[in-house]
Amino acid sequence: MLEERILSNEKIINGFKSLGQMRNMSRASVICYSALILILIVSFSVRILPMRWEIPSGTLRLNEFDPYYQFSLTNQMVEHGLLSPYYPEPGWTNEQLWYPEGLDMSRSLPSLPLTGAILYNVVSFFGVDIDLMSFCAILPAILGTFACLVLYFVGKDMGGKAVGLFSALFLALSPSFLQRSSLGFFDSELPGIIGLLLFIFMFLRSIDLKRSLSSSMLYSLGAAGALAYFILGWGAAYFMVNLTVLFVFVLILLKRYSQRLLISYSITFGLALFIATQWPYISLNYLVSFAILPVAGLFVLLCLAELLRHNISSKTKIYLTIVAVSATVGTVIIMWQLGYMGSIAGKFISVLDPSVRSANPLIESVAEHRISSWGYLYYELGLSILFFLTGVFFTMRNPTNRNVFLLIFGCTSLYFASSMVRLLVLFAPAFAILAAKGILGLLNPFFALMKETSITVGKSKRRLQRVSKEYGGAAIALLFILLVLSLAFTPQNGGIPRALQQAYSPITLSSGSLPIAPNEPVNEWLDMLNYTSNNLQSTDVVCAWWDYGYWLGIPGNVTTLADNATVNATKIENIGFIFMAPENESIPILAQYDAKYILVFHTVFISQASETSFVAGPGAWGDEGKWSWMASISGAARERIIQDGWINENKMWYDENDFGQLNTQTGTWDWNTVGRDSTIYKLMSWAKQLYTESPAAIAASVYPDEVAVEPSYFKPVFISGSEISPFEYGGVIPLVALYEIDYESYYNSPS
Amino acid sequence: MFPKVPDQHKVGKPLIPNGFGVIYVLFTTVYLFSVYFMGIVDSSNNVSAPLTLAVCILFGGFMGLLDDWIDLKWRIKAFMPLIAALPLIYFATESGLRTSIALPLIGLIQFNEAYYFLIIPIIVMIVTNTVNQLGGLNGLETICPAIVLIGLMILSSSYLLMIGPIIIWLVLAFFNFRGKIFVGNTGSFAIGMTIASFAIVTDLKLSLIISILPYVFNSVLILLTIFLLKKRANVTFDGKTLYSKHRRSLVTLITYRRFLTERQVVVIISLIIVIFTVMAAFLEML
Repeated sequence: MLEERILSNEKIINGFKSLGQMRNMSRASVICYSALILILIVSFSVRILPMRWEIPSGTLRLNEFDPYYQFSLTNQMVEHGLLSPYYPEPGWTNEQLWYPEGLDMSRSLPSLPLTGAILYNVVSFFGVDIDLMSFCAILPAILGTFACLVLYFVGKDMGGKAVGLFSALFLALSPSFLQRSSLGFFDSELPGIIGLLLFIFMFLRSIDLKRSLSSSMLYSLGAAGALAYFILGWGAAYFMVNLTVLFVFVLILLKRYSQRLLISYSITFGLALFIATQWPYISLNYLVSFAILPVAGLFVLLCLAELLRHNISSKTKIYLTIVAVSATVGTVIIMWQLGYMGSIAGKFISVLDPSVRSANPLIESVAEHRISSWGYLYYELGLSILFFLTGVFFTMRNPTNRNVFLLIFGCTSLYFASSMVRLLVLFAPAFAILAAKGILGLLNPFFALMKETSITVGKSKRRLQRVSKEYGGAAIALLFILLVLSLAFTPQNGGIPRALQQAYSPITLSSGSLPIAPNEPVNEWLDMLNYTSNNLQSTDVVCAWWDYGYWLGIPGNVTTLADNATVNATKIENIGFIFMAPENESIPILAQYDAKYILVFHTVFISQASETSFVAGPGAWGDEGKWSWMASISGAARERIIQDGWINENKMWYDENDFGQLNTQTGTWDWNTVGRDSTIYKLMSWAKQLYTESPAAIAASVYPDEVAVEPSYFKPVFISGSEISPFEYGGVIPLVALYEIDYESYYNSPS
Repeated sequence: MFPKVPDQHKVGKPLIPNGFGVIYVLFTTVYLFSVYFMGIVDSSNNVSAPLTLAVCILFGGFMGLLDDWIDLKWRIKAFMPLIAALPLIYFATESGLRTSIALPLIGLIQFNEAYYFLIIPIIVMIVTNTVNQLGGLNGLETICPAIVLIGLMILSSSYLLMIGPIIIWLVLAFFNFRGKIFVGNTGSFAIGMTIASFAIVTDLKLSLIISILPYVFNSVLILLTIFLLKKRANVTFDGKTLYSKHRRSLVTLITYRRFLTERQVVVIISLIIVIFTVMAAFLEML
């Protein structure tokens, strides 16, 4: 009946009629929607800028590492059915990742791959000829633009169309969100942000007392769907769940409880958690985790508030309160004691308490897990911080339900963004709305002033009670220039728009994993992946640092030991050990993993040695910058590695300081004899040595900074980048070196 | 176009156009953008000095506009410039500016990180507010900051950053001194922010501190009398000269039991500023 009323024929016909009446639309609406369309076009255009580096190859690729994981799931869904990674149980295990156990892909969140697979099937159905990887590469730009559209509606609800427009603009150009929604970034943040925004939009509408009950219930259902999509899309859904719990709790404290709140809350969370827990990976355990239990606690509180609202005696109210509180606390204690309560994963705890991260080198080694310093926040947000602060001020002055939510959202997401760089993307929508409210809050009085006639009434001394409307114009002009400086000519970035700098850079593979934006793609990594997929068997095990696991395992089509899934810390410690140990200590553990090849990525800097010659030294963006993590991660497992008999106690290290020391004069690392004897050092330096012996390097008189020793048990098979000109990428040489492990020599060696 | 306010120290209190500071702000922004586009001043570690200055001056100007319009509370005015300190802190950290100040007789004081997070915000806050507080006489709020800024420009190799702004400010000062225009809070906050940000960007802390000592003295005097005596500085105008019966500000100190014309007072205070600016230059060159 409800649906009938909402989607009646009459309503549909009226809807079409209203389309015909668009010509009668007010000028303000035309301007508003034109601006919105323009913002969406800008949003999409900026996000596809990296395509410039993809055009030469004629295909689109994915950015960074994790998107390849999501792509492999999507590919599985497209080829074998949407639920094929999960059903029949135990689901799909990718044998090429995390050899020998394989990676259990049924433990993946489905929102993004499902979205990708469904949309791909739809566009294929309509005859669009596009390969899946290209589709997955372009999808983030489309979803990112869609998120801006949703934020427009959220902002519109919070403060009118102007706030909506500014919010959409800020989100469209937010560097952190831009990075996570630009071409190729097919990762979990996308369903997360879209779910978050849709949830906010619908949940806040559902608790709006001005709406009818049926409308409110529909919005609750929508909010439930959005929340379930978020939970099944990104682990950060804990944030949204607890933010909403906190918000509703604050409403109760502010004595703003309403029956509508109880209904919306119950429908939204009940249905969302019901849908989410149907997924095998989430399961019912999700409900008893520390982060989700407050949902139940608040539900009890809401029920209590509903009971207390009725006309019952004070004595009964006290009894009811005591019973409810006792029951809730008692249930928690009993569940805790019986071990039914699950804990939150370590990385979520580490967001709440960033100091935990420093104790775990595995988490700390990931760049996106860094703590955001004030400088980084300013670098990212620029002068818009001014608008954000004024937005907070204006929002606090008018604490409606929506504004209370916005304030809590802004403050909590700022804390999480400060705790972890990656979570700046969660802060981006809150920042966008608050900054928009700040700008409008500052502009509105001056707009009002401009509409008035000039009044020049003097006050004491030179202060003015009222100023002329030209003054309003001047203020608007100054604010406009401030806005231009915060979006278009950002001083903290040398005047280059921060958004443009973020967007106009090649995807990681096309830049050869270098932080540069060259004229042509850097092909060294692509060449290596082509080589492995064309010349190696998919069952060949290649040992590499975990960063490159997805690349090698998915587009490279070989079997790898570890990747960004980091599901087995012990194996990562062992890989760290393989690279840091001397060759003869590494081989036995490599043999245990059936590794046939080992791969290192080494960047070399070419610098002028004399008028006619150049020297090749270590760069910064390859394994020469990552080996310290290999040392500290394996060093943290020192006792286990010794006990397992891989090395004796005297030879086993604690961290990178056992391999040399930092030269404070030159800023480079001075390897000691232990360091020079490590496998990683030999593999990197030998690749560099071979490069300097290439015709291109000899022709340019490039010499190595020190003569390398050829590894005894690792034979170079293919070194991508070994033939390029020293100056092709501005003096940086990316060398991706693949060595075959020579077990025969090892086992035949006299020692 | 500009709102008119009475000139308190003229017979008949004629209405004078106020808020000309906005011209300075807009011109300076355009000028600094031009400097940026022409690449006259190199970006330091990829942070643009002209754009950083533009941001700060714009913010100062906007703050002045707000003050003119809604008469900001002193608590807000005192701390608002802290926001503008953010781009300067970022500039200083990224450019690796010196974190020490060499004071005569005291020696080198090393502030380390505190320089960025404590000293820079304090400098911005104090300079902007003290410059704003020394005004009320024709020419006073324009000539004195011009003297300080010219002193800093002479000492800095990046003087090109301020050539345009100082010219337009001197033009405004000329008309202000003649009682034709007022720059308003927009102007006084913007020029205060200009002085503070230029001194920080060009690393001329010591010169700044010495140059603005008369300003600081004036503000201390005003604030102490407000907080301790609950009284405000007030100068009497008899139609020709100024006169005061108390010493609650620099102006009232100079006119204390003395009959001086408005121009005489402005010239005296300007000379004091000149003396301190010369001292600052002398010490900087030592």
